[in-house]
Formats: sequence, C-alpha cells, structure tokens
Amino acid sequence: MANKELIVVQDVCYTYPNGVEALRGVNLVINKGDFCAIVGQNGSGKTTLAKHFNGLLKPTQGNVWVEGYNTTQCRVSEMSRLVGYVFQNPDDMLFCSTVEEEIAFGLRMLRFTKEEINHRVENVLELLKLQGLRTQHPFALSLGDRQRVAVACVLSLAPEIFVFDEPTTGQDHLGALSIMSVIQELHTKGCTIVIITHDMRLVAEYASRVIVMNRGQSIIDAPPAVAFKNYNFLEELSLRPPQVTQLATLLGHDEHAILNTKDFCNWLSSRIKPNVQNQTSEA
Amino acid sequence: MILIASHPPRLPKEKSVSMSWMIDVAHVTYTYPNTERPALESISFQVPPGQFVALLGPTSAGKSTLCYCLNGVVPRLFGGEMKGKVVVAGLDTYEHEIPVLAQHVGLVLQNARSQLFNVTVLSEVAFGCENLGMPPEEIRQRVTEALALTELHGLEDRQPSTLSGGQQQRVAIACVLAMRPDLLVLDEPTSELDPLGSEQVMKIVARLNRELGKTILLVTHDTDFVARFADRVLVLYQGHLVEDNTPRNVFTNQTLLQQYRIRPPQVCEITFELLSRGTPVTQMPITIDEAVEVFKRLEKDGQ
Amino acid sequence: MATSAFIPANTFLHRLDARSKLIALLTILAIAMILDHPVYILGLLGIVLFSWLAARLPLNFLGNIFKYFSGIALLIFCIQLFFYPGEIYLLHLSRPIPLIGFSGYISLEGVLYGLALILRLIVILTIAPLLVMTTPLSELMLALVKFKIPYRFAFILTTAMSLLPSIQNRAELIQQAQLCRGVADFEQGNLILRLRASASLLIPLILGAFRDSQTLEVAISSRAFGAPVQRTYLLETHLRPVDYSLIMASGLLLLFSLWIRWG
Repeated sequence: MANKELIVVQDVCYTYPNGVEALRGVNLVINKGDFCAIVGQNGSGKTTLAKHFNGLLKPTQGNVWVEGYNTTQCRVSEMSRLVGYVFQNPDDMLFCSTVEEEIAFGLRMLRFTKEEINHRVENVLELLKLQGLRTQHPFALSLGDRQRVAVACVLSLAPEIFVFDEPTTGQDHLGALSIMSVIQELHTKGCTIVIITHDMRLVAEYASRVIVMNRGQSIIDAPPAVAFKNYNFLEELSLRPPQVTQLATLLGHDEHAILNTKDFCNWLSSRIKPNVQNQTSEA
Repeated sequence: MILIASHPPRLPKEKSVSMSWMIDVAHVTYTYPNTERPALESISFQVPPGQFVALLGPTSAGKSTLCYCLNGVVPRLFGGEMKGKVVVAGLDTYEHEIPVLAQHVGLVLQNARSQLFNVTVLSEVAFGCENLGMPPEEIRQRVTEALALTELHGLEDRQPSTLSGGQQQRVAIACVLAMRPDLLVLDEPTSELDPLGSEQVMKIVARLNRELGKTILLVTHDTDFVARFADRVLVLYQGHLVEDNTPRNVFTNQTLLQQYRIRPPQVCEITFELLSRGTPVTQMPITIDEAVEVFKRLEKDGQ
Repeated sequence: MATSAFIPANTFLHRLDARSKLIALLTILAIAMILDHPVYILGLLGIVLFSWLAARLPLNFLGNIFKYFSGIALLIFCIQLFFYPGEIYLLHLSRPIPLIGFSGYISLEGVLYGLALILRLIVILTIAPLLVMTTPLSELMLALVKFKIPYRFAFILTTAMSLLPSIQNRAELIQQAQLCRGVADFEQGNLILRLRASASLLIPLILGAFRDSQTLEVAISSRAFGAPVQRTYLLETHLRPVDYSLIMASGLLLLFSLWIRWG
C-alpha cells in the first residue's frame, strides 16, 4: 500500500489551442494516500496540470498515467470513476431541483441500477451530512452547502483520487472549515487528495506535500515544513507562508518550518519555560 | 460629419452644504423584493472623512447589500423596501440619482471579470466620465490620473479580459477613480485573486487612503490586511451591525470572533493559545511586527 | 483566455472609419441582393476576398466558413438546379412531377440562379466578419451612435458581442464539470438522456449569464450609466478623405448596379 503510484506525470508539456504554453515539462508522481497541495500564481499552470489528472486535458507532449491507464486512451467519463475533479464554482455544475436528484444524476447517466443509485446516494448524503437537505433545491442553499453538494456528486462515483480546484475561494471562515473537514475526512478514509489553493495557511495545516508551480514548471515539490523553510524564495513568487512560519523565522527558528499555532506555541514555550521556572523558583 | 460638435453641459458634481460625516447611515432596514427576512436590520453608523473602515462578517450577513446602499443601487436598482436614511458625502441617497452619487462614491465589486465589458482599458476607464458628459480633454486627463494611481500606465490599449486578475481589479478601481469620488466602497475586491493580485490591489487601496485621504469602506476576509491598515472594524452578522470597534479590540476578543465566525490574524490565534496555556502574555499583538516585538520581550523578560 | 473578434493590425482597412466601413458593407450587401447574375456577385466576392487579404485576416477562418456552409450551399444549388423553371434547356431528366414542383429538366437559368444564390450566401457570410475583425467594438458602437441609433441600444448590442467569448468559455467549463460527474457524452444515448445532458449544460449556463448580467447592471449603474446628460465620447472619430472616397465609391457602385438591373 505504501508508495503505490497512482498518478504518474512524465515530461508533460501542454499548449492551448491559442498558443499559450501552460506546461513546460512537468514530472511528478502522486502516491496513494498523498495530501498534495498545488500552489502558484494564476497562469502558472496549476489548473492545467490538475486537468491532466483525469484526462480533461491530454498532454501535447509526454504522458500521464492514472492507475496504469494512459489518459490519452481514456474518456473523461471513464476516468471520472478513478479521479474525482471538483470545480471551484459549484454553480457550474448544479441544475437539478433537489439535492437527491442532483447526486443521482451522474449515476443515472452512467446507467447504474436503481438499487445501486439509491444505495450510493444514501451513503454520500450521510458522509457529507446532507441528509437534512435532501429535498431542498440546490440553488436555495448557502455557497458552502452548494459546494458540499458538488462534492457529493463527484463522490457518488466513488473515485479513489480527488482533485479540488480552489475549494475555499470565496468562502467565509466557517464555509472553508466545513469543506476542509470534508476533504480531511475523505483523506482519512484512504482517498488521495490533490488540492489547488492560494491559501498558504490551509497548505500548512492540511497538506503532506506542496508542489509550487511557476511558469508551467514544478519548481518545488516537498513537505510544507521543508518548502516553507526558505521563504525568501517563495516571497519572490508572492507566495507568503502563514504568519506562524514567518514569525518563527523572524524570532530565530532555523530548523524545519513551523506550520501551525500549536507547534509554534510549543517551540516558544520551550524557549521561555526555563526562565519562567526560574522566576517561580526564585519566588 | 461630426455630429456632436459642441459639448452640452455635463452632470454637475453636487456639493453638500455641510458635511461632518462621509457616511451617515441611520436606522436602515432593507428587504429585497420577494423575500421576507430583511437583509439589513436597523443599521446605524457614521464614518468621518478619511477613515479606513473594514466591514467583516460571514457570507450572506448583508455586507454587499450595505455596500449597495451607499451609492443608491439599493434600493433604486433592486427595488424592495427600505426604511431609514443614508447620507453619503452630504447627499441623501433618496434624493439623488445613482449617476449623481457616482461622483462621490466609487463602488468596486468582487468579480473583476464581470464588471468589465469594454474593449480596451482606456475605454473602460473613460466609461464613467463619458456617461457624465465630460469634455474629452478632461476625460483623458482623468483617465491618465486614474491609471497612474492604480499603476496601470502602458496598458491603455490592452483588452481587459486578457489582463491578470489583479490587473483587472485595478482597472475596476481606476474606473471609479476617474470620477474622483471621495469615498471608495470595495466589496471583497481580492477574494477571487491570487496572492500576487491581492497584494497589488490592497497596496493601492492602502495608498489611496493614506496618501490621497480617500475614505475607504472595505469588505474583506483578509484580516491580516485589516489589522495593518484599517482604522476601524464593523462586524455585520445576519443583517445586524453587531460590533463597531478598533481592529485591536475586535481581533483580541476571542468570544466575539467565535460568535461571529471571524478568523483573526494568525498572530492573534497564537496569543489565544499561549494564554490558554497560562503563558503570561500581557500585550496582544495583531500584526507580525508587533508580534516579533511582544514575543522577543516575552523571551527576554524570562531571563 | 478569450478575446473578442477584433484582430489588431495596422492595415488600410483597420484605419478606415467604422462609419465608412459600415456604409461599404451595407452597399455590398444591397448590390448582392439587387444583381442576380453570378458574374457580378463573383465580382463582389472578389472585392471581399481581396479585402480579407489586404486586412491580413486569418485565411483558415475563411476556410472554416466554406467548410461549414458547403453542405448547405450544395443543397441550395441543387434545389435551384431541379426546381427553377427556366427556358433554355440544358438537360432533360424526366417528365415533370408537378406535385413536388420538379420541372423535369435542368435549365441554364436554374444553374445561374443557383450559383448566384450560393455566391450571395458566401458574400454575406464573409463580409460581416470582415467588419467585426477590423473594427474595435468601441468604434463600431460610436459609428452606430453617429448613425443616430440610440446609445442604449448600441451599448447593448456591442456589449453582448464583446461578452460572447466569455460565455463560450463558461460553456466549456460547465461541460468539463459535467463530464467530471459522469455525464458521458452530450450526443449519445437515448433522447431523454441526451435532453437531460443538455439541460445540465444549459441551466447552469443560463443562470450564470443571468447572474453576470445582474453584476454588470450594478457595475454600469455605479459608473453613471444613464446620467441625464448628453453622453460624450473620449474617442472622437473623423472621416478622412479615404473614407469619403469609399463612401462615394459605394454610392456610385450602388447606382451602377441599380442601372444594370432596371436601367
């Protein structure tokens, strides 16, 4: 199970029909169980790369293999059972009159049996805590809930790998937390996660691996603690690590980057604790 | 063949008699047509000229609606039922049409792409002044000025849809700046931008306030930026104005933040965590610079 | 990623005023309707094609137009061939079948009329892009306004044209999103499945366009659209001697063709 290669991207170049070179020789492997964050400015090739993971785009040069299948030889609708791709804007997907129907729609199009469809819809409603909203009109829901319904639609096809394109963009704090907890749960259940985001705090808190894209190439591929360590370089790309990381570095922390509040407090406490203890002993 | 030979009078910029507040909102309750629950309920606040106000709150708290009230789009364009009074730059929004208000209030929307529709940046930025009937020489001058303020010179002939998100949003700001408003209302201008674009936009917003003295009302979830630049924070929750305070008082009040689902700058979360562990933090930082100072002292004080 | 149809360049056609181009275009269309001998219309087509070359517009676009409409053109030609009641017999096929209007022979007039119709179609199809590709929409709008078309109407027309590419982009995005949830093909399966598949494309597209138009309404209102004063224009266009010459030439050509037809 460890290090099972799910997606292999080999020397991939992609040029859009209008001549824009979006990818220039990308190589990477996504392993089973990864929680991978792709970051970079707009136009750096993040989304173009991710759309190769389920064959929405086929490489102009090079190859992409997903679970051993070459994506050039597969249809997207077949790939959608292996790789679930959730678009940023749920409104680009939702159109049915109830949440239930919405989730069943894809399954119907793929001609699943009635029992199988019912079974899967129930499962997905439960997993995403949408049971209470099953008969609601998707358009009447909040953005956060609509986003969860969109995830449900993709989840119903039971893919093993999930790609989320900017899942928290435009969401408030609570909405972002709720969608991230869903993603986290999918990961705990054994799914492999790829997430495209601009939110470095989110990368630091959730991802096991960060891929930094710049001008169509992957220039960093490392765990966040390593990638954020030398953040002057990232700053040149206007990718600023979260405040804890910056603050720790400014206070003289020079090992692996600190990624969350807890670790920061532990580290800071270790630096002040002896003295505080001294004070108490003197007192 | 020149059909418009001389220029008819432009729309004059109304001057208010006396103005102590840039924004004066009194007991405003507003309900959209075909809905029952009011989007805003008995909102009152005043903003003096030159202040930088951040408007925070979760989605669908009524933040956009409040923005729309300030230039008359609500209720003039949307209809619905409005009670109370909104006076902006000394002009009552009941008495003045949107084009009149547009010369005092510049409204910038969230989605850069869908508020730009012209073929070139030049015609985009000139659009407002043209509508107001200004003579071409003056329009040219104002457009040049607005593009300089938003650091877009040289892009005049580009098509807005080919620009980056950050550039597009700056074009949107330039479009309202060309009408030389005293107040800028920005409704989540960076929520759909990448970090580079957000930084460019926020830098310009901060400078418009600090160097040109424009009054700013900014809706955002970017509390790091608010902590650094805003003078004041308003919190909107389910249509009610629930807090009106300094950024420091808002971002260091953990109960309030949790109640109204606001994520403070991360340095504040650090302080909350340290306090919960019993570490004696006496001063609450809200920016990185402050935090460096506070925590350095914390380390030293121990020795 | 999308751009409007305008292709920037600095050619004779690009430099012409939008008004004179509009007049020339309408004249050529009128002549194509007035004259019915294919040779004349071929001449018009020659002018149009020469203009494509002169304006350095992409020839593959021209090729696409021919490709997509060759089927329809052939159909129109055949209909005229078999059904046009001419006097000069070229080929006798069978007895007339009055029920469907088949005359039973192919006449010279039928051939000529069929050719004229096809050539007309090609002229119409190729001349409109010629204008839109060499004229920025803002200039086109200005031309419309100067022809006394109300600003509001001209604005709606040109804005709608400028938004078409972004609608196309969104349609592509929605189609991708639906593919990702298992909507296999928009052209396969039985009728009900296909209808549902196209609903999954159309509903989000229409709702999205509706939302965008609301945003646009707020945006243009906030920028003083519809202020109760006469609008001014930053870009002032002037007719130059070449424009006058073009308008004059168009007028003469129109008179000439009227003379050929009825003189």
